[in-house]
Amino acid sequence: MTQAPTDTLAVELCGVDKSFYGVKANDNVDFKLARGEVHALLGENGAGKSTLCSILAGLYRPDAGDVFFEGEEVTFKNPKEALAAGVGMVYQHFRLVSNLTVAENFALGHPDTGVRLNQKEIHKAARELGEKYDLPIDPAARIWQLSVGEQQRVEILKLLYRNVKILILDEPTAVLTPQEGQALFKTMRQMAAEGRSVIFVSHKLDEVKQVSDRVTVLRNGKTVGGIATADADTRELARMMVGRDLVLPTRDTIEDFGDVMLSVKDLHVPGDRGIEAVQGMSFDIRAGEVVGIAGVSGNGQRELAQGLVGLRPPTSGSVVLDNVDITNDTVLQHINAKQGYVPQSRLGMGLAPGLTTDENLALKAYRSPPYSKGRMLVASAFREEGDRIVEEYDIRGVRPGLPIRLLSGGNLQKALVAREIELKPKVLILRSPTRGLDVGATEQVRNLVLKERARGVATLLISEDLDELLALSDRLMVIFEGEIVGEMAAEEATAERLGLLMSGQVEEAST
Amino acid sequence: MTKRRFIVEPRGLVSWKVRLGVPIASVLAAFIVAGIFLFLTGVNPIEVYSEMLDAAFGSPRGISETLISATPLILTGVAAAIAFKMLVWNIGGEGQFILGAIVASGVAIWLGDGVPSIVMIPIVVVAGGLGGAMWASIAAIPKVYLGTNEIITTLMLNFIALALMNFLIFGSSSPWRDPEVSTFPQGRPIPESARIPEIFFRLTGGIFIAIALAVFAWYLIGKTRWGFAVRIVGDSSETARYAGIGVARKILTVFLLSGAYAGFAGGLFVAGPVGALDPRSLDLGLGFTGIIVAALAGLHLIAIIPVAILMGALNNAGPSLQAIGVPTATVTMLQGAILIFAVAGEFFINNRIRRPDIEPEPEPEVEPVLEEVEPA
Amino acid sequence: MNESLLMLTVMAAIGLGTPLIFATVGEIITERSGILNLGVQGMMLIGAVAGFWATFTTGNLFLGVVIAVFAGAALSSIHAFLSITLRVSQIVSGLALAIFGTGLASFLGRAGGNPLVGNPSRAVFEPVFTGSITEIPLIGPLLFGQDLLVYLSWAVAAGASYYLFHTRMGLSLRAVGEDPASAESAGVNVSRIRYTHVLIGGALAGLGGAYFSLALTPTWQDDPIGAAGWIAIALVILSSWRPGRAVFAAYLFGAAERVQFTLQTLGEPWSDIPSTLLAMLPFVLAIIAMIVLTSGKRARYLGAPEALAIPYFREQR
Repeated sequence: MTQAPTDTLAVELCGVDKSFYGVKANDNVDFKLARGEVHALLGENGAGKSTLCSILAGLYRPDAGDVFFEGEEVTFKNPKEALAAGVGMVYQHFRLVSNLTVAENFALGHPDTGVRLNQKEIHKAARELGEKYDLPIDPAARIWQLSVGEQQRVEILKLLYRNVKILILDEPTAVLTPQEGQALFKTMRQMAAEGRSVIFVSHKLDEVKQVSDRVTVLRNGKTVGGIATADADTRELARMMVGRDLVLPTRDTIEDFGDVMLSVKDLHVPGDRGIEAVQGMSFDIRAGEVVGIAGVSGNGQRELAQGLVGLRPPTSGSVVLDNVDITNDTVLQHINAKQGYVPQSRLGMGLAPGLTTDENLALKAYRSPPYSKGRMLVASAFREEGDRIVEEYDIRGVRPGLPIRLLSGGNLQKALVAREIELKPKVLILRSPTRGLDVGATEQVRNLVLKERARGVATLLISEDLDELLALSDRLMVIFEGEIVGEMAAEEATAERLGLLMSGQVEEAST
Repeated sequence: MTKRRFIVEPRGLVSWKVRLGVPIASVLAAFIVAGIFLFLTGVNPIEVYSEMLDAAFGSPRGISETLISATPLILTGVAAAIAFKMLVWNIGGEGQFILGAIVASGVAIWLGDGVPSIVMIPIVVVAGGLGGAMWASIAAIPKVYLGTNEIITTLMLNFIALALMNFLIFGSSSPWRDPEVSTFPQGRPIPESARIPEIFFRLTGGIFIAIALAVFAWYLIGKTRWGFAVRIVGDSSETARYAGIGVARKILTVFLLSGAYAGFAGGLFVAGPVGALDPRSLDLGLGFTGIIVAALAGLHLIAIIPVAILMGALNNAGPSLQAIGVPTATVTMLQGAILIFAVAGEFFINNRIRRPDIEPEPEPEVEPVLEEVEPA
Repeated sequence: MNESLLMLTVMAAIGLGTPLIFATVGEIITERSGILNLGVQGMMLIGAVAGFWATFTTGNLFLGVVIAVFAGAALSSIHAFLSITLRVSQIVSGLALAIFGTGLASFLGRAGGNPLVGNPSRAVFEPVFTGSITEIPLIGPLLFGQDLLVYLSWAVAAGASYYLFHTRMGLSLRAVGEDPASAESAGVNVSRIRYTHVLIGGALAGLGGAYFSLALTPTWQDDPIGAAGWIAIALVILSSWRPGRAVFAAYLFGAAERVQFTLQTLGEPWSDIPSTLLAMLPFVLAIIAMIVLTSGKRARYLGAPEALAIPYFREQR
């Protein structure tokens, strides 16, 4: 779409590259934002949306390419400079100081505040701003007293207080009720009408269609398309977001799965902020079956996994493992019931970073032989078992006394998965097992999962990586806002179908 | 962005050379700094240091006194180390020591003569441990159940314990007070049977008990199932929870154990050379010095033993300085400086500094992992 | 209680309370930035000895105060470096400085050919106003019979209070102590704020120490300040990290110290309460305050800055 020559773009990115530790988060990205436009940024996790926004907000500097504001080339050294130029971002984790008041958060770091803090003036300005945009707030309230939705209002108003011309919102509706979401959209349109520009990061097609003027889709760090929302077809968008020809893997199809090993009925698990993260999920997994759950992160996957393993007590519903109800059991009881769990956070949860590989491999099994005899540890067992497992699973870089955190990502993951497998689980739950791994490690880990499948383990694979899900799953479900919104056999999965479900579109009746 | 002259980065595998070299360098640095102050006040530091060395190790009597000073430091050092390793900031070793001494001497006096030594001495030592653990529980229970920060509570408990002891001896006619002496209040001597036998000048068997207790702690943490769970909690409490370990209970137990060890020190002190709850000969500052011992030993339980002997040597050498006209406060100054450098040394153990254009030799198959955003 | 007894108690309260005000307000400022400095005792002692020495050698009180302030700040700069730049344990670093400062001060007091110990100060802070104005009953001696540093302590507490709650810098300071990551996002330089305020805290502690050696007991002795530095740490909690309340807490403590003498004169049964038990009081109160004030909702209003004693690691770029 061509711009009239007098209409300078508010923002333009040309050929922007940004890499972290050798991984290209943004690859030759082009992005155009007009004044007075609400522009949606669509894409899966890892597509590069956050990186793009962080560059715009001054948090990172591009490795290559140019950034233009109002037609002039700029490089922001830090968020402060970006703010001064009129760009502000509302992050998913708010940058509000909890114990201070709304007004104080407004005033913090504001360049115009004199030596003296004029509380009355700030209060007045805050109240007026709230009324203007129909986002009423109490300037004297402390942040911790506000609901999440109200806090988000403060974040937005804070930026408007600084008169930003470009506002970036990162998945803003994730923490809002539907009504609050609608109010937010009204505000966004009001800001656009004033000549400000809004960038709205989302993976929910409904919202994108409702509020944006233009949509840009990112995938694997590259821009896939930028079109006017009115012209965009939902299916087309979903396909752009997710799709390429998904390679269906070759693996033995098992016709006859065994008994039901894991039975989940109407499970409700609470989230962190008082809302319910898992809202009544039910599914069964049989021995030898791999069930994959696809979905953009933040839709309840973490809470589901934690609810299944005892780390987060469900509020209602049941979890039955091999005919034993483990719903409210402790974590240790879950482990003893032969449930393995590979969490998403390797060094933060799955492994103890400062302990050695041998010790980490014994993390769950140390209470019994061969690792301990009575109350005493058997040091030789740690060594022998450690050597055996390292050899068998090809974990590289291990040295005696070396803290495990120094191993590369692939080897860490192999160790983690190896440990869980060595427990001879009946049910294995994995979250994003090959995230961040190179090709070789990915293949090794996938093979481990398939081997367990052949051994008759009931496996639940929760992941955002569609390739991984398709390579390993017999059956796929899609999670959206805490519920299962679709289910299909692996052979029936297409990029389009998955993309639509993942972005909240209800499936039409199949033809 | 300004080009940095140095890059600071976390160290990979820490070699034993670094682990040993940094503490030694810290001690040397402290001696140099103290030496500068000595020099500025017109004293020859070398003379002072050699006098201290002579006092501490130069004679059999000196060595025995050094070991006497080292005995409680081994235990308060262990107390600090096991707590700090779990990020439990128990700085109440002073108070727990005192309560150990109070309970130990109290039990001994209450049991009176007539109980054979072989029973009496272990009772007294255990009583000391119970006293220390009980005192620690005042800070430990709020920490574990209410989330109350233990730094301030344990610190304040030190002074309360001190006041309590003064009350028992100076402020009242409590059972701890010596009824025989009417002029100036002092602690009542405990029964002979509770006294640990002397082996060498004033040195008693207490040093062996202290070493045995330290080795026991090392064994407990390093070789038992329970100790393994504790180490996991100390490394990453999230991981411990994931592994099915009861984190709160472990923290509480370790906190109480730390208090118990400081209490053992108090019990041994009373059953050792002093023989009574005596505020004046009770070497105050042992709790804090224990922290210095633990820090310099890198929180390593066996290394604490030689470091405690070093600190004991310093403590012992103090009084001899008066004879050559140098303030005994020199020792405190030295110990404080050692702690400062020991703490700064931690930084150098965990990080290394290199110039940007010089690449370090790559370690095979080893590379730092990207930080992950959300847990599990 | 007759008037002269009341007067004695109040004057003693102010006497002992003044150095506590300086040290407590200083530590409040430091802790408001998120840094815990347990070395207050060391800084006060260094200030005491440095100030005494300066006045002793030059006869100049003003110089004494200036040197004391510098000495306290200098010692605290070590803590700042260890805690903020090297990010080592603040607890151990603070304790190290308390021990080192105590040793160094005692050493300097006794060292050299002509030691300071046992000598009276060459100049002492005297009451500022004299004459008939000091004879007005009650408020006369109270308000007008004080020395310069007492008035300074009131100014410091008031100034700190205003600074914290009514200025831009004070707001940045409070934000850094609560949530350094968010403060940094808002454009505040966390390191710089922390360094500055640790030094200010050390300077005030040094000033507090100097009050002992130049006004209260102007003779250098081996134990010039008692446990004042540790008491100040307790008073920070009892004053809920607010400088205004620190004045009350400090005077209350000063009065409590005096109370034991007062109790003696009252006779039985009051005189039976042992001073040793009374000595426990501020510490017991601090523990109770810690437990009560730092849990639940109350913690939000009266509790410690949220990021206190947690090292801050700036996000990677």
